[in-house]
Order: sequence, then C-alpha cells, then structure tokens
Amino acid sequence: MTTTVPASKIAGLVFGALLIATLPIWAGDQYQLHLAALIAVYWILIAGLNLVVGFTGQLSIGHVGLLSIGAYGFAILAGKAGWSPYAAMLASGALGGVCGLLLGLPSLRLPGFYFAMATMAFAMIVNELVMANPDLTGGGVGLPGPLFPAPFGTPTGFYYLVAGMAALVTWLTWNIARRMWGRAFISIRDNPVAAQAVGVPVLRAKLAAFVFSGVSAGVAGAVFASLQSYITPDTFVFELSLFFFVCIIIGGRGSLIGPLIGTAALTALPELVAPLAKLGNLFYGVLLLLVVLVVPEGIGRVFEIVGERLRPREVHREPVSPDLPRLARALKERA
Amino acid sequence: MNARSEVQAFDAADYAGAAVPSGAAAPSGAAAGTRPAQLRAVQVTKNFGGLNALDNVSLDLRPGEVHGLIGPNGSGKTTLLNLLSGYYQPTSGAIRLGEDDLSAAPVQHRARAGIARTFQKPRLLPMLSVLENAVLGAWPHARSGFLATTFALPWVRREDQALLAQATELLHGVGLGHVLNRRANLLDHAEQRFLEIARGLAMRPRFILLDEPAGGLTPQEIEHLANVVRTLRDSGIGVLLVEHHTDFVFRVCDRVTTLNVGRMIRHGLPDEVRLDPEVIRVYLGA
Amino acid sequence: MGTVIVSGLAIGMVYAAVALVYNVMYSTSKVLSVTTGHIAMLGGVFGAYIIAALGLHWIVGLVGAIVVGAVFGWLTEVLAIRRVLARSDEHLWLLSTLALATIVQHAVALWWGTEPKPFPRLIPQDFSAGVMDQKFWLPVGCAAVMALGLELFYRRTMYGKVFMAMSEDAFAARARGISTDRIRLVSYVLSGALGGLAGFAAGQLTFAFFALGHALTLSGFIALAVGGLGSNVGALIGGAALGLLSAFASYWFGGEYQQTVAVGLLMVVLLVKPEGLLGARNVRPV
Repeated sequence: MTTTVPASKIAGLVFGALLIATLPIWAGDQYQLHLAALIAVYWILIAGLNLVVGFTGQLSIGHVGLLSIGAYGFAILAGKAGWSPYAAMLASGALGGVCGLLLGLPSLRLPGFYFAMATMAFAMIVNELVMANPDLTGGGVGLPGPLFPAPFGTPTGFYYLVAGMAALVTWLTWNIARRMWGRAFISIRDNPVAAQAVGVPVLRAKLAAFVFSGVSAGVAGAVFASLQSYITPDTFVFELSLFFFVCIIIGGRGSLIGPLIGTAALTALPELVAPLAKLGNLFYGVLLLLVVLVVPEGIGRVFEIVGERLRPREVHREPVSPDLPRLARALKERA
Repeated sequence: MNARSEVQAFDAADYAGAAVPSGAAAPSGAAAGTRPAQLRAVQVTKNFGGLNALDNVSLDLRPGEVHGLIGPNGSGKTTLLNLLSGYYQPTSGAIRLGEDDLSAAPVQHRARAGIARTFQKPRLLPMLSVLENAVLGAWPHARSGFLATTFALPWVRREDQALLAQATELLHGVGLGHVLNRRANLLDHAEQRFLEIARGLAMRPRFILLDEPAGGLTPQEIEHLANVVRTLRDSGIGVLLVEHHTDFVFRVCDRVTTLNVGRMIRHGLPDEVRLDPEVIRVYLGA
Repeated sequence: MGTVIVSGLAIGMVYAAVALVYNVMYSTSKVLSVTTGHIAMLGGVFGAYIIAALGLHWIVGLVGAIVVGAVFGWLTEVLAIRRVLARSDEHLWLLSTLALATIVQHAVALWWGTEPKPFPRLIPQDFSAGVMDQKFWLPVGCAAVMALGLELFYRRTMYGKVFMAMSEDAFAARARGISTDRIRLVSYVLSGALGGLAGFAAGQLTFAFFALGHALTLSGFIALAVGGLGSNVGALIGGAALGLLSAFASYWFGGEYQQTVAVGLLMVVLLVKPEGLLGARNVRPV
C-alpha cells in the first residue's frame, strides 16, 4: 500500500461509487436489486475475512459458521424475542466477535492445515448445534428473518442500508490495511520469522484480525437473514465458506479491490450465466484450481501483468551508494 | 568515542581464565558505575539432541563497537547468533542484557529490548515496497492500537507518516533512496541485504546482529557495507558481525572472537587474532 | 451395548485407514492433502457402481475401487502437488488440494446423485447378524491389513526404505541419487490405492455417498492428529479413540452432538500434546 494513489485509480473508484449509489435507478428489476444487496451482504463478511485470509494468511474455511451464528442470532432476537432489528444486528456482531475469539484462541496457534480443519469442523459444529436445538432455532424447519423498519424495509431502502454498511466495512479494513497493522499482518503471512524479528506479537495480531472478521460476519449474518427473509440450516453449508474463500483468493490476497470485484463477479456469474448455476460449486472448485496453478496472486495480478506489458517501464539499475552523513543524522534522531 | 582504549582496558578482566563472574567484573579505568549495558552470552552451551553446537562460549557486545564473530562452517556462529536473538535457548549458561537475564525471553521481547538482526538469506516481504519493508522495523515504536487504527483516529496518520519519514531517511542513508517504491521481490541481492539492515535500524536498536551480510556482495558493495557499519558504530550501536569474509572482518572490527567446533579459540583485537597460529591453522588446515 | 462398541470400533477403523493414507502421502511430500477423504469416498462410490449398477462380481468392484483410488491419487500429485511444491508459498498446496477435493466431490454429486446409496453385500450374510455383521469387521480387517502391510513395506522392501529416507530428510535422499519426484508420485498412487480399498471395505457401513469426501477428510484428520502425525500405530489408536468416543456420545446423548464431541477430543489432545499421542516434536524453523 504505497502512499500516493494514481489519478486513474481515484477516477475509477469515484465512478464505481457513483454506480453503486445510483444502482436502484438503473438496475433492471427487483431480482437484480436483490442480487446487488446480496453482493453487499457477502462483502460485509468477506471484507473482514479478507484480513484473515488475504492479509494474515490464515486459511479459514469455516466462516459460514459465523454467518450462521449471526443470522440465527438476529432471527431469534429480532423475531422471537422482539428486539429492535438494529439492536439485534449489533448483538449479532458482538456474538460473532465472541465466537471468533473462542474459535481463534485455540486454533490460531496451530499450523496451516490443522487450523483449516479446525475451522471446517467449527462450521459443521454450528450446523449440528442448530439442528440439535429446534426449540431455539426451528431445527430443520428454520426461522423467518425479520425486516428492518422504514426506511429500510423496502428493497431499495434495504439496498442502501447494506450498501452503506459495506462501504463502512471497506473503510475500516482500508484503515487497517494501509497502516502499520496492515504491514504487520502481511509480515505474518509472508514471513513470520521476519514478523517476530521486528517484535510483532504474531498470535495476538492473528486474533485481532480473526475477531474483527467474526464481528463483520455476525453483522453480515443479521442482514443476510433479513434479506433472505427465511433461513434454514441448508443455507449454511460448508460450500458457502468455500465461496467466500475463493472470492478472496481469486481477487488476490493483500488487496481490497481484488476480493471486492471477485465477490461481485462470483455472486453474479451463476445468476447471469445459467449453465454455471447448475455446476455451482464445481465451477468454484475449477476456478480456484486454475487460479492457484496459473496466477496464485489472484486475477488482479493478471491485470497488472497485462498493464506492465502494455506500458513497459524501464527498471533503472543503480548501484547502492550510502549517504553516510544522512544515515548518521537519521540514527541520531532516534528516541 | 574512543572505543578502542576502553576495549583494551576491559579485556583482561572479562576474559582472564574460563570463568566469567556473574556480576560484571570491576573494570579498570573510568566510569565503572555508569558503564552502558552490554549484550552478553555468558558461558553458554547449546546441545541439539546428542549434538553439541556450542560449548561454554562467552561473548560480550558493547554499544559503540563492532565485534566480529568468525569461524569455519559448523563452528557455531549462527547458533550463537540465534541464541542472542532468541530463536534458541541455551542448554546452560545465560544471555544477558545489562543486568537482565534474557535467556528465556522470546524473540519479540528482544526486539522490544533493542536487539535487531539480519538473516543469512534476507527475509523480506516480496509483495510490499522497499519503504514498507523498512518501516515494518518501526513496529516496536508504533503505539497506535488496533482499534485506533481501525477507526482512523487522528494520531494514527501522524504517527504513520512520522515513521515513514524516518524509514525514508534510513533508506537514503544506506543507499536505497532510488528504489523506495520498488517491490521488494524486484530487488537485486545487494539491495535486499541493505534493505534488511535498514529495517533493523528502523527498530532504533541498541544492538544489531548481522548474519553474513557480505555474502554475495561485490568488493565495491562490501566497501559500502563497511562504511555503513562504521557509521552505526559511531552513532553508539553495538554491531555483531558474523562473517566468512575474514578480510572484511579484520578491517572493520574493533574486537574479534573466533569459534571452532563450538568452542572459542581466540578473542581480542583484530591484529592479534589474525596472527594467532591456531586461528591460522583452523582456517588453512584441513 | 455390544453393538455400540463394535460399530464405534468399525467406524473408527475407517478413520484410521484414512489417517494411514494421510501418513503415506505426508511421508514423501510433507503435505496433508484435503483430497484424502475423497479417495475413500470414490472407492465406496465406484465399488457400489460396479457391483450394484453394472452387476459385476465383487472382485471386479474391489479392483475397480483400488484402481480408481490409485488414479485419483496420481491426479492429486500431478495436478495439485507437483507444480505447487516448487513455489515458495507453503500454503498453496492447501488451496490446490481443497480445489481438487471440491471438484471431485461435486462432480460425483452430479453423476451419482446426492442421496446416500446402499452398498451391496460382498459375502452372503443375513442382515440379522448383529455384531458379526460384515459391515463392521470389513473395515476393521482392512485397517489391520493396511497397517501390517505398510509395516512390512517400510521394513522389508527397498521402496519402503526409500520412503522412510525421504520422510526423514528429502534433501539428503536427493543427494544420494534418489529421484524424489518419482518416489512422491509412487507414494501418492500407493496411498490412492489404499484409500480406494478402505472406502470399498467401509462401503456397507458408510453407504456410497458423495458427502463422505469432506467428512472423511476431517474425521481422518482428527484421528491422525490425535494419534500423532507420522505414526501408523498412532493412526490406529486415534481412529479407535475417535470412533468409540463418537459411538458412545451418540448412545448417551443422541447423535446430535457427534461432530462437537469429535472436535472436542481433537482440541483437548492438541492443547495438551500438540504433536499427538505418538507424534514427534518438530524442529525449529530458523
């Protein structure tokens, strides 16, 4: 994350923001509006998960469990218990954060495969617990997901609610990504020995990212329940976790825009290309395999490579020549 | 800063015989009570299973000196370096910083205590720029918490920019000012080595441990490295230089310790060590 | 009660067999493949297909299951492991094997259907045989044969000794002229064959079901982690522990908390002894 942003990028972002803000006007029908809202809801979760997978490099494939906890929490509190949907949503976020902490504490110290399996098991356990307590969760029958009060009760209103929340989460993760914490996260992913050497508290940092992702997943679960208007355990299958994960890997780890575009593309694609809908998870598997084998840094990297080919920039090779007085002055400025 | 005379004065007391007393030996010469904290390995032995890597080795690193550590392959140099920086714990003996016993302290604790190190193969973050790699070293001095960063509280930006500015100065200082925004995986070998040093300096360390920094450098680059090391020493940092290039070591160091098969065989001024018959035998013999 | 013990042991031996497959793959590649459970799933599904749908003799089914497993093992190595191991990012193999596992699981779902289908009887037997039912002792026998077979393989055959050499130090093995790439491929084909056999033997217990893939990957892993990575005896013990614990938990609390109990076991063992009951401690990475 360098400090200067090129004008073209800013223009692109502004254009994108305008498109998103005016979407209900130009979107074709209710169905497309619903799809756009779904993308926003997924992104609320994926933006947080991005810190875990894309930045600290922890391969969590169980976040559907946190989505489920948030969704059921919302459905129970705002539905059965009659809470205000806003309060229920905040409670879902808190619940997601607490569960993230409980899951992360024992598992984040485990090596990669062990950790992935632990998160996979977590997702299965959540489903098991949902089925085992039908009085609370409706068991296999499920629960209705309450609507938000006006002005967010209509499809357009709801769209603006989740789009706004998605923008907020994006801003929060951007804040983390571009400062020291973001660099510390990347060091944990790419060179944990270097991270230790500069004093990064590796476990605590992983936990911070994981708890953040728990909160965002919990909140995403709440609005997801409202959007779908009815949730059952069948909604929260392991494959959904895989989907979140693939969006990030395909978009490219270490970036925000990449996974965002990945989320939008992968959510919309099966809807727009009918044969893909039938293949569903098979398609995601193939896509993931292709990306991992061919462009492991993500599709964003493909664009970069193409850009570099089109505008080749000379890499100036200069010898390293120290500026000793400047070095001495810099060393003297230390606290 | 006249390190050399101080060095000669302390030597006899510290290295006479095999035993190093647990309280620091009273130095002859001035300023005994205010002697700045040293980083010391005190009679350390390190065993890996049945293998003995270090046997009763002592070494001390003072602020404002360049201390060379040489020895053939397998002599235990890197093991000693890893003991000082916290990747291993001694089987017996202690690692001390001033009066504090660091032997069981984890790596991160030593980083916060002001001990920086570089690695034989540079450990950089390939997808980040040179500047971002260097400023990572400022982590011990970044006080912005996770939540403050998340909500973009005003001091976070100020602190970040200050740290970036300092890292920029250090990078110019070591000679990498022309590649500040280049991705680290596009650097050549010398640039990578100097970047790791800059990152270590961003930690504002009291001691920096360099693990074979001259490896793969051209003579011109080694000269630059020597100048940088001297500048570090003159600013008061204690530099431990683990090296194979013995010429480089003898040129730049104030004191030299030689290891062979896990034991210290000679310690003293560069000229003494260079002409020591056992050192010569170990390097030129079979 | 007897049924509980026997069924718990039987399913435990299915998990143990998967854990054995993990061990064989791990020994030559240091990779834990997400596709491991899917190999067994394929063995069961193809066995059922060949015997029930095609109406062929069960020996053909057995051979078919082994061949399909071996082919999938080969595919795993070629597609998901070989090209990925060469890169520096160590967790790419987790992604590639996860991708391949997903592809296989859903391809089978599309072809075979999403309902668990019954696996045909291999030996004529009454369905009232109770604890002597072949669906129980087939997996137990299979796991025992696999474990014994692997033991003989490692100790008595040249290939087996080469596997062990590679598992201890791949670099040294290569230096001795062993083609580690070819050995790795052989080990994946072998583990595929074993996995297919295990799935075939377990078929009457687990049914031919596409979702077994991820389920066995996870359960087999828990057996492996509890018993200790790299230990075949540990795999048997871990599998038995997991199977019996799940069976008793079902018996006492109802089948609703099976997964929770299993993971509970895993977490307890990992917190107390992270390398598993019979596993070896890892060496430090620096």
